[in-house]
Amino acid sequence: MASFISCPHCGIRPKEEFTVRGDASVIRPEPDASDEAWHNYVHIRANPRGRTREHWQHVFGCRRFLVVERDTVTHEVYSVTDGGSR
Amino acid sequence: MSFQSRHPLEGKAGSAVRAVDHLEIPRSVAIATVLSRLSDAAMVVAGFAAAGDLTMRNVAPGEWLVLSHVERAVNLERRLAALLADIAEVVDQSEGRVLLRLSGPNARRILAKGVAVDLDPSVFTVGQSANLRCGHIAVNFARSGENEFELIVFRSFAESLFEDLLAMGREFDLSYGFSGGLADQG
Repeated sequence: MASFISCPHCGIRPKEEFTVRGDASVIRPEPDASDEAWHNYVHIRANPRGRTREHWQHVFGCRRFLVVERDTVTHEVYSVTDGGSR
Repeated sequence: MSFQSRHPLEGKAGSAVRAVDHLEIPRSVAIATVLSRLSDAAMVVAGFAAAGDLTMRNVAPGEWLVLSHVERAVNLERRLAALLADIAEVVDQSEGRVLLRLSGPNARRILAKGVAVDLDPSVFTVGQSANLRCGHIAVNFARSGENEFELIVFRSFAESLFEDLLAMGREFDLSYGFSGGLADQG
């Protein structure tokens, strides 16, 4: 089965049009936060099984960064929103 | 030294006979990119509508390609900049993009080999446009008629896309050839 992502700007597209840009749930620390907070933000990532939030860039379409909420096991997509709309 | 415009597919000879399915290469098309803030997008679209004779293609939110088959590139850029002053940026792309027009009864079947959107006219309607992937190349894709599609591609990808389209259309005996060429003269 093909994996489709429903881009809020372009419509239903195959995953080949997108690039996954990593975890969208990490929050950038304040500039004066501790080294450990920055280390965690830059380097440390979970490898979750199940529901995740990721940045996907629609590189072959509108080139916008999207936040895709999906299941890493079933690839069921729960929501796709524009990354700038938060 | 004056700049000599050369079409990237210039060396292609064209088919001896035009088949029912045809890939047309309009020789001179003025193309400009228009960029605006999201909050000004509705005003930009209204500006295009007011101009009347401009063909507008959706790229992304707040980004469009504008085509003219009659105007020269500098004139199109100047006119758009005046029309959309203060609400959008306009950059001429005429030398940077290439327009290809595929038409014929089998156009949909040819494109279905490289394009992953539903090309049924009730889904992708006449006049609709979007950026998408054709094979391995990003193109701006538009339906200009029931069985007519226009692809705008970056100049350096034009030959590759052209060869891909010919291969995709080979089973339907797809022909190709240049058209037009008046707008750049004089």
